[in-house]
Amino acid sequence: MNKLNIPMAAGWLPALALLVAATGCSITERSRELGNPAVPGVATAQQVCSTCHGVDGNSTSPQFPKLAGQQKDYLVSQLKNFRGHDRLDPPGPEYMWGLSHNLSDEQVEAIAEYFNAQPPMRPNGANSEAVGAGMQIYRQGIPEKEVPPCQSCHGPDGQGLAGFPRLAGQHANYVLRQLHVFQETNFRPGTPMAQVTHLLTAEQMKDVALFLQAFPAAQ
Amino acid sequence: MSRLGWIWRSMPGALALAALLAVVSPAHAIPAFARQTGQNCVSCHAGGQYPELTPYGRLFKMTGYTIGQRATVPAAIMVEGSMASMKNTAAVNNSLTNNTGAGLPTPVDSGTPVADVASLFLGGKITNNFGAFAQYTWDFHGAADDAGNNTKTHGSADNMDFRFADHIITPSQDFIYGLSLNNNPSVSDPWNTSWAWAQYVPASGGIGANSFLDAAAPYPGSGLPGDLYAGLTAYAYWQKTIYAELGVYHTAKGLFHFFNANNDPTASVLHGSNNPYWRLAYTRDWGAHSLMVGTEGMYAHPYDTTNGVDYGDVQSYQSVKSIGIDSQYQYLLDPHTVTAQVMLQHQTQYPSFLDANINGTVPATVTTFRAKGSYVYRAFVGGAAAIFNASGDPSIATRGAMLEAFVLPVQNIRVGLQYTMFSRLPGVDHPSDANTLFFYVWAAY
Repeated sequence: MNKLNIPMAAGWLPALALLVAATGCSITERSRELGNPAVPGVATAQQVCSTCHGVDGNSTSPQFPKLAGQQKDYLVSQLKNFRGHDRLDPPGPEYMWGLSHNLSDEQVEAIAEYFNAQPPMRPNGANSEAVGAGMQIYRQGIPEKEVPPCQSCHGPDGQGLAGFPRLAGQHANYVLRQLHVFQETNFRPGTPMAQVTHLLTAEQMKDVALFLQAFPAAQ
Repeated sequence: MSRLGWIWRSMPGALALAALLAVVSPAHAIPAFARQTGQNCVSCHAGGQYPELTPYGRLFKMTGYTIGQRATVPAAIMVEGSMASMKNTAAVNNSLTNNTGAGLPTPVDSGTPVADVASLFLGGKITNNFGAFAQYTWDFHGAADDAGNNTKTHGSADNMDFRFADHIITPSQDFIYGLSLNNNPSVSDPWNTSWAWAQYVPASGGIGANSFLDAAAPYPGSGLPGDLYAGLTAYAYWQKTIYAELGVYHTAKGLFHFFNANNDPTASVLHGSNNPYWRLAYTRDWGAHSLMVGTEGMYAHPYDTTNGVDYGDVQSYQSVKSIGIDSQYQYLLDPHTVTAQVMLQHQTQYPSFLDANINGTVPATVTTFRAKGSYVYRAFVGGAAAIFNASGDPSIATRGAMLEAFVLPVQNIRVGLQYTMFSRLPGVDHPSDANTLFFYVWAAY
């Protein structure tokens, strides 16, 4: 009945030896350590950042922004804002403050380069009335409210430029939450977006967010 | 007084306990893992509910608790106070005494605020690939005094999980593998429909009024009679799609005695190492949705401890075969957290533990079903509903439901009101007499 019974010590010694060995050696290239400047930024991007943002920067959940092909300067500035607790919107205290707290400037640069180098996030191309309304705001702005066209900073293809983030293909839910942060708080420093979003209605922000996620080819 | 008068009579005590704990509880503080990663509880626990994990929390666990920086003091504490009020304690006590010869555990106190449990956690990153989670719990009603009342505190080992893990990840490949040295079958599992983590927190025991809370109602499990064991499992998670785990369990003795420290050593004896545990799960994340469909099982050989263990008698150990299917769905997108869980398990004991004559040949079977749904808004206020049904031998068949509302004023304090209802309860003539209102305050630092 119990032919498989193995004396305990003999059965577990190899496993214990492996565990003990594991405490003594570690692979820096696959480290999840966040307080060691010797860990390559690529390792941090793949082992830590990827758990929410995806290894190629295409996050599955709209809770987390896509980072694939994101502008390097933008990523660096945001990581430093999180690291310095200057960015106060919920992802800061909930997730990013702690993760970024002890990253070195070199690691921040390397993480930004890693995600910048990924194939850019891809819009889904879907079209709808809301997407059309969002495209109108993105392309033309709302002159009567002195809302400038989004594309004047974020580019006609939504690709961003330096400190202005890539937006084409971003999760609509994430964009919408950020637009509300810009409009209703001063939680995100160093951006003109509070001024830009000042007079937008909730529906207009939703339309823009849906357009950015879809980003259909210009009609 | 109306039929619900017992609820209202309980309220002043409940409010007093809430006020007291609100004053003395720590604020804006985070336990060990959160200190290690610098993150909030909600990053790993869905909507801030303990112990339910988010997709990120599951990966944190599977990668051996190694994300972050090793903490200076890798410790955390948890305390729980509560007040349970059974609808008709006297009737339940009489019924149990008449039908089974044993009444409710004493003291039978109903409607009295009590301190329940406190836990010390040691855990977190040890090296890049090695981490630990170890819990030691004091039950303030865990031991009987000279008069036979459960008024004495008893501290003992609780869940423990020591891990080695590695994560191989490239744009085309995602493979996590590891080993877990643990003391409770399925404690290594990252989903909250597994045996060790399905049980709804908070739990409470020791005194009579706490006997029929949801946490004490039937859950799928290993069916083992005692407390904790010593197990080694190997696991792998491939492409964030297939999770597999296989391990064996043994009596926690010798070098591994600490796994069952301060529990009754004769109550947790397995025959050799021939006690395999296995787990297989399919998972899929899409958008803000996360789904797991899995199966979990164990084939264990515990000694019957009904009349004391006779290690020399090979006839005195039994076989317990547990096979179940389970599924968990989550929707996590600020400000909403939705969770649905379903478990179905069939368990067979040869010969029956329920049979005092251990040489009997009739197997006892029990089929346990559980379903639970919960919703949390802004990780601040939430509610849950559950149904449970254990069918099989009349001495264990139980059926009921639970409703709960809770609030998380800060991320490490939870205050809840839970109501557990029964339509079938072994040994109780009128099961609804055991319906219990449970108020609790849970805090972790």
